[in-house]
This record gives sequence, C-alpha cells and structure tokens, in this order.
Amino acid sequence: MTTFWSMFHLLTATPLIPVALIGLTWGILGGALPGISASITMALVLPFTYTMEPAMAIALLACVYIGAEYGGSIPAILIRTPGTNSAAATVIDGYELNRQGRAGEALGISLMSGVVGSLFGLVMLIMLTEPLSWGARAFKPTSYFGLGILGLSVIASMTGGSLVKGLAAAVIGLMIATVGTDPISGVTRFTFGVPDLLNGIEPVLVMVGLFALTELMSQSGSSNVLRLKSSIRIRLPSLAMMNKLKRSQFIGCILGTFEGLTPGGGGSIAAFMSYNEARRWSKTPEKFGKGSEEGVAAPETANNTVASAALIPLLSFGIPSSNSTAVLLGGLLMHGLLPGPRLFEQNPQVIDSLYLGSFIAIIAQIGIGIVILPACVWLVNRPRPYRAGFIFALILSGIYTLNNSLFDLSIALCLGIIGYLMRMAKFPFLPMILGVVLGHMVESSYRRSLVLSGGDHSIFLEDPIAVGFLLFAAGFVIFSLTRELRDARKPKIQEAHS
Amino acid sequence: MNKDIVSGLVLLVIAGLYHRASGAIADSTLADEVGAAGLPRLLTIALVGLAGILIVRAMLAQKPVAIPVRTKEASGDEVEDDARLPRALGFLLLGAAYIALLPFIGYIAGVALLIGAVALYEGAPRRWTVPIAAIGGALLYWAIFVKLLGVNQPVGSIFHGLFS
Repeated sequence: MTTFWSMFHLLTATPLIPVALIGLTWGILGGALPGISASITMALVLPFTYTMEPAMAIALLACVYIGAEYGGSIPAILIRTPGTNSAAATVIDGYELNRQGRAGEALGISLMSGVVGSLFGLVMLIMLTEPLSWGARAFKPTSYFGLGILGLSVIASMTGGSLVKGLAAAVIGLMIATVGTDPISGVTRFTFGVPDLLNGIEPVLVMVGLFALTELMSQSGSSNVLRLKSSIRIRLPSLAMMNKLKRSQFIGCILGTFEGLTPGGGGSIAAFMSYNEARRWSKTPEKFGKGSEEGVAAPETANNTVASAALIPLLSFGIPSSNSTAVLLGGLLMHGLLPGPRLFEQNPQVIDSLYLGSFIAIIAQIGIGIVILPACVWLVNRPRPYRAGFIFALILSGIYTLNNSLFDLSIALCLGIIGYLMRMAKFPFLPMILGVVLGHMVESSYRRSLVLSGGDHSIFLEDPIAVGFLLFAAGFVIFSLTRELRDARKPKIQEAHS
Repeated sequence: MNKDIVSGLVLLVIAGLYHRASGAIADSTLADEVGAAGLPRLLTIALVGLAGILIVRAMLAQKPVAIPVRTKEASGDEVEDDARLPRALGFLLLGAAYIALLPFIGYIAGVALLIGAVALYEGAPRRWTVPIAAIGGALLYWAIFVKLLGVNQPVGSIFHGLFS
C-alpha cells in the first residue's frame, strides 16, 4: 500500500511524467543519429541532470537509455547504418524488409519488440534487484573493498582484445581518481595548487570527454552523406503478427536478461545471439537474411531487454556491465547516491522513480515512437557540418552547467584528446571510466578497513563476503586471461595447419 | 615503430610524471598506515609493469620478419583515425577558442561563433545559411538553457548589461 501511495505521489506531485517523456524523446533522437551510441546520448544529457532532483535525474537517464535502444534501429532499418552498436543485428533483416518496400512494417516490429523486451527486462529488474541487494546489508568496509575489486575485475571482459591495454586504461582511470583531496587524511594530491582540482575530476567530465568528444573528433572531416526517405510511416504489427513473433521475442527476452546480467555482455552480443537462436528455432529459418520479421524482432527484443536487465547488477552492487550503465553509475554518484542496499533504504524514491519512469517511457514509446519518426528523419538528414556544430555547442554548454567552470571545459577537451589517442592505440574506454568511478570506493574502503584492523591485512580474510568477492574477481580475471591467451594462440595454430 | 611500443613508452612517461608529482604529496598527522601516497605508489608500479609487458610483447611479436599484411581492420577505422588526427585536433582547437573567448563575448555570441566555425570547418558551403544557423542555434540554446532551465551561462564582459 505504501508503494502504491509513493507511486501515486510520484505521478502527481513530481514532474516524473514529463521527465520520462523528455528522456525517451531525447533517447530516440540521439539513438537515431548514426555514430551517437546510447552511452553518448546519455553522456550528453548527464551534465544537465546536475541541478535536477536526484530521483528525476536518474529516471531521466534510464528513460534516455530505453529510447536510445529503439532509436538505434531507425537508421539500421532505413539506411543500413545502425544508430547504436546494439542495433547492428537489426540491419540484416530490417534493411531487407525496407528494400522490399516494408520499412514501415519493420519499424513497427522493431518498436513493439522493443516494448516487449523492455517490459520483460523491467519486470526482471523489479523482481531481482532488491532481493540481491539484501545480501549487501551485511556489508562492512572490507566487503565494499571486495566489491570494488570485483567491479574493477569486470575490466577483464571489456578489454576489446588486449587485457594489458585494458588494465593500463584502468590504472590511468584510478590515477585520475586520486586527484583531489585524500579521503582519509584530507591532504591534497595532484592538485598543483589549482583550487578547481580540490574536489577531483568528476567522472561525468571523463565520460563526456571520452565518449562524446572523441566520437565528434573521429567524425570530423568524414563525408558520409545519409538520406532517409521522409515519407515513411510506422505500421504497428497486427495481433496475428505478434503471435507469430512470440517465439523470437521470448528468445530475445531470455538472452537479453542473461546478457544484461553478465559483465561485458551488452546489447550487441545479446542481439546477435538472439538472432542466431531465433533462426535456429524458427519454422522458416530460410527467410532469415532475406527479410524475416523474426529477424528484426529477436535482436530488438534482446537489446531492449538488456537496457533494463543491465541495471540489476548496477543497482544491487554498483557494478556497471556496459558503457551506458557506467554513465548511469556516474549519474548516481554525481548526486551522492551509492548503489546497493543503502540506496533502497535511504533513497527509495530514486528507485521508485526509476521503475515508474521506465514503465512510463516503455508504454509511451509506442506513441512517441510513431510521432517522432519524422523528426528523427529530419535530424538525420541535416548536413553533418551543422549537426557537428550543434552537438559540440551542446556538449560544452552542458559541461559548463556542472560547476559554472571554464576549467571543467578545458579538462573535458583534454580528455577528448586523450580519448582520441586511446582510440588510435586501441585502448578501451570503459576500463578507464570504471577506474575513475570505482577508484574512490576501492581506496577509501581498503584504507578504512586497515584503520579498523590496525594495519592487519587479515581483516579481509575474516569477512566471508569480501573473500567471496575477491575470489570471484580473481576467477573472472583468470578466465578472461585464459580466453585471451587461447584466442591469441588460435591464429598461430591455424597458420601452422595451413 | 610499432604502435604498441609507442603506447608502452607513453605509459612509461605518464608513470614517471605521476611518480614525480606524487612526491609532492604532503605527510599528515591524520595519515593511516597506507597514507595518501600509498595508492599512487602502487599505481605507478602497476603502470610501469603493464607498459613493460606491452613493449616486450610488441617487440617479441615483431621478431619474425614477415611480409606486412594489412588487415581489414587496420585499413579501416585505425588508419582513418591516424590520418584524421590533425583534423581532429583542429576541431578541438575551435573548442579551446570558445573557452578563451567565452568570458569576453558571452554565451550567445560564443555559441553562435562556435556553431558557425565548426560548420565551416566541417565543410559547410560558405552561404548565408551558416550565420543563420549559427545565430538561430545560439538563440535556441540560450532560450532552452538560460531562460527555460535557468542555467547560468557567462554573459560576457563586452555584452554585460544587455542580456543580464
């Protein structure tokens, strides 16, 4: 009953509905722009949430994520260019349907499959998150240290092919996190007498710099001309069609949940896995690749399920499993919210807003998805030079909003250069972001534990939760290392055989 | 030189600079066993180690002299990113100019100049549409952020009084 009244209060006494709708709209528009991923779309709006009430800010970011996952399928279907990475699998049959003159139908299937996937993911999120976080009630500083290390071990699965580069990026992220005032003794570190650095470098600057500015810089000078037909209208699938798609949607839901829970899983892997499984279990597998409706439904259901399911490890333990959830974690930390049981106990309105806002966005997606299509088409068709100017101005305006500081703008530009160089040298971004985001928690919990034990490291072995996390983290790194070594040997073995 | 070797050397330079800067961390009477300089020391060692692995691995991989094969990956994004570096830095310079000018010309003029300059830099035809889009965009952003959302943006010393 309390929950009902708190939900009713959120709907009537807070701007949750407009926030959810604005977030969804922004997400669809951003996701529809090729090259602007869901995480970039979220990073662009992140600075503007700084002055918002925490509950509304988190709901807005979650709704942007939901919208971006659908938005990515629009150019995937219409111009064979996925708006987001996770829409890559939708290109295969979505574009084929478009070539057959059935673009409206493909967009309708994508939209409704996205709604099905998001709703399933949301149910999983509501059912699993709080029970999982209960375990975290027994957490001590040692447990938080173990948890932070486990979060950092996620890096091992997100190294983009080189564990060493991923770990180096994480170390640099941790180095950035040490800038500012020391959490225990209060002395300043790496501030060089600059007052703006006393509070450290905010994770949001790192995210915007690495994701958004680096992408803009990479696109500079590219001459790809994209033209979408402006006459396209969405045709929602009939009940008979939805019945036909239920098997592939079910596969998308299951695999999407699994991948959302898996660190490093992400929407693209879920989408491709679902596409393959849907083909395997389809009554008409021969249609896949030639314009199969199931070939659109399965990946779209999966990547939208991931958008909600990926929040389960994030909200329960503070472990981000993808770029987008890392941005959301940045949003939580920016508002002084620490994921885990304390978030449920001390800030239930944040959780309620996130759930309810997501639900509103998912349902509204059907209407807004249809209405906003012409705007997406118009936006994608704008000349790239103007689009770049507007996005750059938006990024800089947003960063200034954080602290009314020109220094922040300079930091973000520097991080843009660092991101570009990292991209050139094939260093992954996410480990660095995880280092920045988790660095403070890992260091302060480690040192607090040692203060409690008088410097005795065996305190970590006395806490079964910490031991469990550390063992799991070690196992995760060993597994990733073994996989990388195996993958590195594969070509040599193949070479020897040939 | 192999890109991984260069990356490794850059990481060593970063580790060196970081180590040097960590020497300036003051001792505190409130310090715990690890101290404020504890983690920075550990991170320096870790980065040096990782840089070493990267360099050694790249050198070992270089040893067998083979005919260089340009993979599809190498001929795609990677090469494009390398070639576009000066262009990308030029793009960022426009941002730096915006930051430098903002306190003087203020938000509206700054954003208008930024949008116009980026559009021209990115190849927009030199027509009347550039200033129209630039001024229109600046006014739109000002209306949304300053007027609608109440976000403070610099007024600019030149235009002070006009928009405050």
